Amino acid sequence: MEYAGRMIDAGLQLLDRQIIDVNGEMAGNVDDLELTFPGEGTGPPIVTAILAGPGALSRRIGGRLGSWLESVHERLHPHPDPGPARIPFGVVKKFNAAVELTLPRAELEVDRLEKWVRDTIISKIPGAENEAATEEGG
Amino acid sequence: MKRILAITLGILTAIGGFVDIGDLVANAETGARFRMSLAWVVVVGIIGIIVYAEMSGRVAAVSGRPVFDLVRERLGARVGLTNLIASLFINFLTLTAEIAGVALALELASSVNYLLWIPVVAFLVWIVIWRVKFETMERIFGLMGLMLIVFGVVVWRAHPDWGSLIHGATHPSLPRGEGLPTYCYFAIALFGAAMTPYEVFFFSSGAVEERWSPKDLNVNRANVFIGFPLGGAISLMLMAGASIVLAPRGISVGTLSQVALPTTVVLGKIGLAVLLVGVFAATFGAALETGLSAGYIVSQYFGWQWGKFVPPKKAPRFHLVVMVSIALGALLGLTTLDPIKVTEYSIVLSAAALPLTYFPILVVANDPDYMGDKVNSKVMNFIGSVYFVILVVISVATIPLMIFTKAGA
Repeated sequence: MEYAGRMIDAGLQLLDRQIIDVNGEMAGNVDDLELTFPGEGTGPPIVTAILAGPGALSRRIGGRLGSWLESVHERLHPHPDPGPARIPFGVVKKFNAAVELTLPRAELEVDRLEKWVRDTIISKIPGAENEAATEEGG
Repeated sequence: MKRILAITLGILTAIGGFVDIGDLVANAETGARFRMSLAWVVVVGIIGIIVYAEMSGRVAAVSGRPVFDLVRERLGARVGLTNLIASLFINFLTLTAEIAGVALALELASSVNYLLWIPVVAFLVWIVIWRVKFETMERIFGLMGLMLIVFGVVVWRAHPDWGSLIHGATHPSLPRGEGLPTYCYFAIALFGAAMTPYEVFFFSSGAVEERWSPKDLNVNRANVFIGFPLGGAISLMLMAGASIVLAPRGISVGTLSQVALPTTVVLGKIGLAVLLVGVFAATFGAALETGLSAGYIVSQYFGWQWGKFVPPKKAPRFHLVVMVSIALGALLGLTTLDPIKVTEYSIVLSAAALPLTYFPILVVANDPDYMGDKVNSKVMNFIGSVYFVILVVISVATIPLMIFTKAGA
């Protein structure tokens, strides 16, 4: 495992943190973690991926609301049994107050709904690309 | 001038929190019924919001994380979601009332029924959020809201007996005909209004919008220590004006025109004109604050891109939430639901949910992982903890008290 080397309290230092992509844009939340147990039960588990989006969050929420969220996620997804969106831990650059990635968010599976809302609704309203109203546009 | 402009975030946050449509009526009503005997609660509330807004602004400046990120991180997915649903509901009620409140101010100025103004106001609120730069927005509405200092002029020009005014504020006693439970109910409403959670949602997200860094901790302090006392002072002056002009005549307050009565009596039409501009700015500012907050807290819980520092195309779900909230708020406002009653309930309900928002701020402000050497000082932790105990006591007492007093009737 090439990620090995740092001991963390994953529940406290990783879970529920903001994910930020290589351009500094927000790309979801660490809704769950994929853990792999090395060898024959020796040593602590290793975090191999971040799970994000409704597929992962629904399991954390649980109960009726959780299963409803999961079924909505499955229906809207093109695959019949999608499972949660997965971000391999190898693309994590660093993490402290937020988890920073080495990829742009457009390349992540968790960005699908964001794209859909942008393309079908927001882009059609005049001024959606307005840079002048932002800080950079001054 | 540049220094004044640097603190408009704090001014707008505080004006939207202290003198939005519900507080305008609640403060005038308290002054008319209890004179100055509840003024101390406003002071307690100002200190509380200063302490927690300072922490939330400092966390945002040092770590870049706004309040609802902290709520999600410290309370987890489930309890965080409970807080999100509660906060969103209260925030939505407030947004509805503010849209109707702007419409009521326009009705007073134009004699056109407020229901006709509601769709216009909702559209204007949305277009400002969609197009206007964050800092321009806070400067226009923050500075225009300062017109409400007219309440201070009213008190001064009414030539009150200052001694008895101050004595009434420093020696609180129950006026005849009012019971202790009602007094406590109004105390909670005033305290809840001072510490409404949308103030810290908006303030800390605004700090990120303005890209504060650890270098801006002085700006944070200036915003907090000038903005919030200013907002609180305006609400105290409104209370004093009502206690001087309305209480002796036995006039009670339930509508915006009655709030304006002391100003009209003392300063005439020019005073009224200034007041209406101030009320328009304060309620419009509060509508922007709550409309944006809806987008902020939902996006921050789920981790979506949010904010006006990127073009709308880059934060589509954030803008969708804002748009839908404003549209639904306008629809609820059009049902002729009394907007003033709506905010009064929403303030008291929010008092019940306060600890869920303020606890994560207190914890993270002490976490060196986020804060490095900028963690809370001992004094800050002492005051923060005392207030946290007060918040918990209030959150337990508020709903039984609301039922027992029939909401202060």
